[in-house]
Amino acid sequence: MEDYFSYTAKLFDPSSVNERPEALKGLRVLDFTHVIFGPTASRILGNYGAEVIKLELPFYGDLWRPATYWGRYWKHSNPIWHFVTQNKYFVSVDLKRAEAKDLIYRLAKSSDIVLENFAPGTAEAWGVGYSRLSEVNPNIIYLSCSTYGQYGPMRYFPGWDLLAQAASGVLSLNGFPGTDKYFKLPDYLGDFVPGNMGAMVLLMALYYRNKTGKGQYLDLSQTDSMMRVLPHFTYHSLTGENLGRTGHTDPAMIAASIFKTRDGKYLGLACATETQFQGLCDAMGKPDLFEDTRFSDYFNALKEENAEALRAIVTDWIKTKACNDIIALARNNGFAAAEVADDKMVCNDPWRLERGSVILFQDDMYGELALAGPSARLSKTPGRTKWLARPLGYHNRFVLKKILGLSEEELEDLEKKKVIGTYDDKPGLKPPVYYNLDKDPMYNYGREVAK
Amino acid sequence: MSVFKRKEKERVYTRYSTAGGGVSRWKETVEKLMTPEGRPEVLDDVMVLDASVSNFSGIIAASFFAEFGAEVIKIEPAQGDPCRKMTPFGKNIKGVGIPFILEGRNKRYMTLDLERSEEDREIFARLAQKAAVVIETFPAKTMDAWGIGYRQLSEKNTGLIYIGITPYGQYTQKAQEYVNFPDTDITTQAGSGLSAQIGDLPTEPEPYNWPLKAGMWMGWYISGLSAALGGMMALMYRQSTGEGQMIDVAGMDAYSSMTGFPASIGYTWEKSRPRIGVLDFILYPYGHWKSKDGLVAIAAPRDHDFRALLKILGRWDLEDDFKYTADRIPDIIDKAMELHREIEKETIKYTADELTAKALNYAMKAARSKWRGGGVPIVMKVMTPENTRQNKQWEVRKSFKEVEDKTLGKITVTSGFVKMTESPPQVKWVTTDIGKDNEYVRETYLKD
Repeated sequence: MEDYFSYTAKLFDPSSVNERPEALKGLRVLDFTHVIFGPTASRILGNYGAEVIKLELPFYGDLWRPATYWGRYWKHSNPIWHFVTQNKYFVSVDLKRAEAKDLIYRLAKSSDIVLENFAPGTAEAWGVGYSRLSEVNPNIIYLSCSTYGQYGPMRYFPGWDLLAQAASGVLSLNGFPGTDKYFKLPDYLGDFVPGNMGAMVLLMALYYRNKTGKGQYLDLSQTDSMMRVLPHFTYHSLTGENLGRTGHTDPAMIAASIFKTRDGKYLGLACATETQFQGLCDAMGKPDLFEDTRFSDYFNALKEENAEALRAIVTDWIKTKACNDIIALARNNGFAAAEVADDKMVCNDPWRLERGSVILFQDDMYGELALAGPSARLSKTPGRTKWLARPLGYHNRFVLKKILGLSEEELEDLEKKKVIGTYDDKPGLKPPVYYNLDKDPMYNYGREVAK
Repeated sequence: MSVFKRKEKERVYTRYSTAGGGVSRWKETVEKLMTPEGRPEVLDDVMVLDASVSNFSGIIAASFFAEFGAEVIKIEPAQGDPCRKMTPFGKNIKGVGIPFILEGRNKRYMTLDLERSEEDREIFARLAQKAAVVIETFPAKTMDAWGIGYRQLSEKNTGLIYIGITPYGQYTQKAQEYVNFPDTDITTQAGSGLSAQIGDLPTEPEPYNWPLKAGMWMGWYISGLSAALGGMMALMYRQSTGEGQMIDVAGMDAYSSMTGFPASIGYTWEKSRPRIGVLDFILYPYGHWKSKDGLVAIAAPRDHDFRALLKILGRWDLEDDFKYTADRIPDIIDKAMELHREIEKETIKYTADELTAKALNYAMKAARSKWRGGGVPIVMKVMTPENTRQNKQWEVRKSFKEVEDKTLGKITVTSGFVKMTESPPQVKWVTTDIGKDNEYVRETYLKD
């Protein structure tokens, strides 16, 4: 039989991703969402072939277009917004206008999925909620994303990722016990985790609709979503105790902590099993530790005082070793260790580049940008990137002409009335300065462009 | 929270709402969301074999399928999956750790010793012919070498979706070199870029300024969620074509592939971000401060939100120096920390509930104002999980469930993380007894 790794290299070959079929081809998604939570859910559908039509307000656009890290733009765009909005169609319509609603109802008629993350109640009040769109299209699947959900006493409380972290208990769990040091989860995980859950539950609804013909309404709260990843409620109900903050350590695994090495690097290390712990004891040259009564049984080794004693021994050992030496020993002896990877290490890691976990994507408008690859690699229907973010209103003509069949006169009329529009001269909204939109066939869809 | 104590007309803090009646269809929709019990299950035609061992991300992936009605059979040797023992401070109920109990939702348990018994592998292969999904976390190529990998199982069951979860994946040079590397939550957090972004400022004393571990299994939950999401994508393709496929999840991708930040920032900035303590790279104010009775989270990042915050805190004097987002972003950390301390001088004067009420009152007025852009300063008490458990919001939303198991007794679990009108997720039971369903599985799936 063929060697396993040469078989899997072909099975997953990153260079042939674009030739493989798409799981969600033919699916149309009408996307009212903005910032990260909702857009992440629709981005994932777009990665797998769905046609995602992103609706934004003319001249303003998505709130996250101009909001980049430390105010640093890249080619007049927000570099981290590209990942969240790849493969989308950017249509800019003023939702509150009657003419815009007509366009939306027509789009909704041929859509499979609608997503929104306005403040609860807003979509209903604007006539683009589930009540109205399910009249237009009874089999529609409609996902509302919010911080606290569409019902319950807190439904109208405003919120973001941070507030979901606060209300779910997540924020209270990162930091050092006995100090006043608490830290929120970084990079809006309170949006990204629920966003990924959003994509998953939409697929659940779609799977159900394919079997029964029935659409439905989904109410996903980011606080509910973050609560799902905490064992703390169950822990409290069974032990009567609060787990609280646990610093650098993982109190559920043997010798698990973040450590500092002799060469000033940091690494995470843990033993998931007793066998792995034996491997660590051998690596430390202390095989007798494995027989020590304090650590001889898994539960016993996790008891606070025993775990602390063991961690002190491991800390002293790691202090004397270089990071790479520990990792080599871990590989040899079968325990887990990994260097703390920062942005640059992730971006330039040969393993990630070979695997397709980091992609150097070539875009027609922006040139090369490093993007993260999909979180799960599918052999037959892999996720892929087709294009990066586009200026506000970039696909107006394409979507309204090609999908809705609007005439040139109708388009002009809508533009004149400011029902549809494009970008203002603001970074994050406009194209890069070097790029000539007049020559862009997609932007000018249905109209002659100079070559 | 005290704002709920008095029975009063619902307060609306947003410009638009469905309050005061709304459409009857909307009421009907909410009524359906509020009564998830006994509704149809999405995956009632899907059988999942979870052969994962000493890796919780496999168990978590299987849980998502189980919540949506799949028949999930956890396969483990007679001595049990080592995951049963991974529990904070060794706390357990009759030898079973708490995370394992939480993820014991709707599961069936069968004992098969895939590592040691040829016969058990054959039984597994027979079961896999009836499965839609197999999940495993052995080192890459292990199952293949045993004759029960994707290659062999998919020969007869062409619709099989086979999910492998490992630290470095199923292909590439490094995956081969590190094939026996175990997967854990903390190495996943460290290796995928999470730890580097959480922890105190570089100027703070050691070890507080080291990279930190998130206080929950963020690495493993992301891997598990990614696996389930990938599995659902594959189930969609299977539903339309009948074809299965293999799915490869690498733990070391968890954080970086979910947020995309490390790759794109590493590329465009050509530097790595430092740890930034309680600050935020993009938004400010967006963090937590001390109040009279614990912490409050405050988000007022847009300029008009910030102005509103200064008004409710009575610190308009700060407006001049911190007027625009660009004045507040922490590229000059000292300046950002100065604003942080100034805000804390005010928040410490009030209780968390007082600050929340101030912000909500302001939001309510701003929402009614004819002037646009009144700003919405958002305040929320930083709750411990125990506070969260007591919050009326989650009682109304049935986000927790009490279940009773013969062996484990009464257990509180999170339930129904999403509300759906037709086919919501459910927690039907929670159980963990090893080999509990051996007989059932044999009767149901192995008779022919």
